[in-house]
Amino acid sequence: MDWNCIATEERLSDYLEGTLAAADASALAAHAAGCARCSALVARVGGLISQMHQVDLVEEPPHLIRGILDVTIGPRKQKQAWEGWFSWVPLVWQPRVGIGLATVAACLAIVLHAAGVNVRDVKMSDLRPANVMRAANRQAHLTYAHGAKFVNDLRVVYEIQSRLTPQTEPEAAPSPSPEPQPTTVDPREKSQATPHPNHREARRLNAPTYVLTKYTAQDWPGTTTRRRL
Amino acid sequence: MQPDAQLVESCLRGEGLAWEELVRRHTRRVYNLCYRFTGNAASAEDLSQEVFLRVYRTLGSYQAAQGGFPTWLTSVTRNLLVDHYRRTRRDRLTDSIDDAMPQLEEKKAPGHAPDRLAMASELSAQLQRGLVRLSPDLREAVILRDLQGLEYNEIRKILGVPEGTVKSRINRGRIELARILEEMGVRPA
Repeated sequence: MDWNCIATEERLSDYLEGTLAAADASALAAHAAGCARCSALVARVGGLISQMHQVDLVEEPPHLIRGILDVTIGPRKQKQAWEGWFSWVPLVWQPRVGIGLATVAACLAIVLHAAGVNVRDVKMSDLRPANVMRAANRQAHLTYAHGAKFVNDLRVVYEIQSRLTPQTEPEAAPSPSPEPQPTTVDPREKSQATPHPNHREARRLNAPTYVLTKYTAQDWPGTTTRRRL
Repeated sequence: MQPDAQLVESCLRGEGLAWEELVRRHTRRVYNLCYRFTGNAASAEDLSQEVFLRVYRTLGSYQAAQGGFPTWLTSVTRNLLVDHYRRTRRDRLTDSIDDAMPQLEEKKAPGHAPDRLAMASELSAQLQRGLVRLSPDLREAVILRDLQGLEYNEIRKILGVPEGTVKSRINRGRIELARILEEMGVRPA
């Protein structure tokens, strides 16, 4: 293939970048070897490309970026140096943070109370694990004892009340009696000789019944009156 | 690090931090493209601000399906550079290129071997002098390919021309730039 100086100039960049076909590259190299002009051209352009690839980017002026930001998004407020010290305040000064801190303090107070630690007089010995376990154990037993005493007190009151006011049995159907019962008869004057065919009724009439009545002046002060029925 | 597409969505929702991240991430590339094309640091700074202002206003028109955000950003930058070039065509003929160059590091005494940073700085300055003498279409092609490191497909989308045209411009731009630097006495390493 005839290769001339014009073809060398036209395909020089492809040859230097290695994208020229093998046959054309050989032809160009062979021509350059015999042509002083093309040989100098290949060396000059090859050296220039190599130098341009080694040139670093020129540094921009230091104020250029700030100037670009000012003309686009506007100038920024210049912060004072001391403002940086308090930049965390807005993040912390929120209701949820206060509520969280109060919750943590309440939980801590409960835990310390359960551990038997006196928050007004905390000692180093109070924080030892053995002392914490001992105090927590004592506090647990005290709490259980208070609860048990409360339940027992309730039970005593219930028993006293249940004994003083016994449950009345349901009355049976009145059996036909030979004599009509007077409606104005004082229960205290009722004769015990009058037989009652109903044994339960007899037991009820014979057994003394005590009812707590209101205090009267005839009684001893401070006592309850028992009225026997 | 969030992808650019996610940052764009966050910006559209009004998140200022996402926009700030986008600006910090792409400012240097945009500034370099403007600086290498104009050869003027002050113009590059003004154009960079103009680019991001336009991007900020038209961010809703960006669609990820059409390409990456850097490609779209570079396309906006290139369009503004073309407009700026047309506006300032008359002024360019009278300005001195050396007046617009950034301050270079002082050259060491001839007795001392130049260090790597000084060589790199000198090379950058010489390269810039050569670039501004290229025609605009060749200049932008070389900058996008060899200084920004973009692929042919991306450059095709940015310039809006066929890929064959892109390759042709890059090739001619490289050859022309090498010839200009040779005339200036700059030898390749």
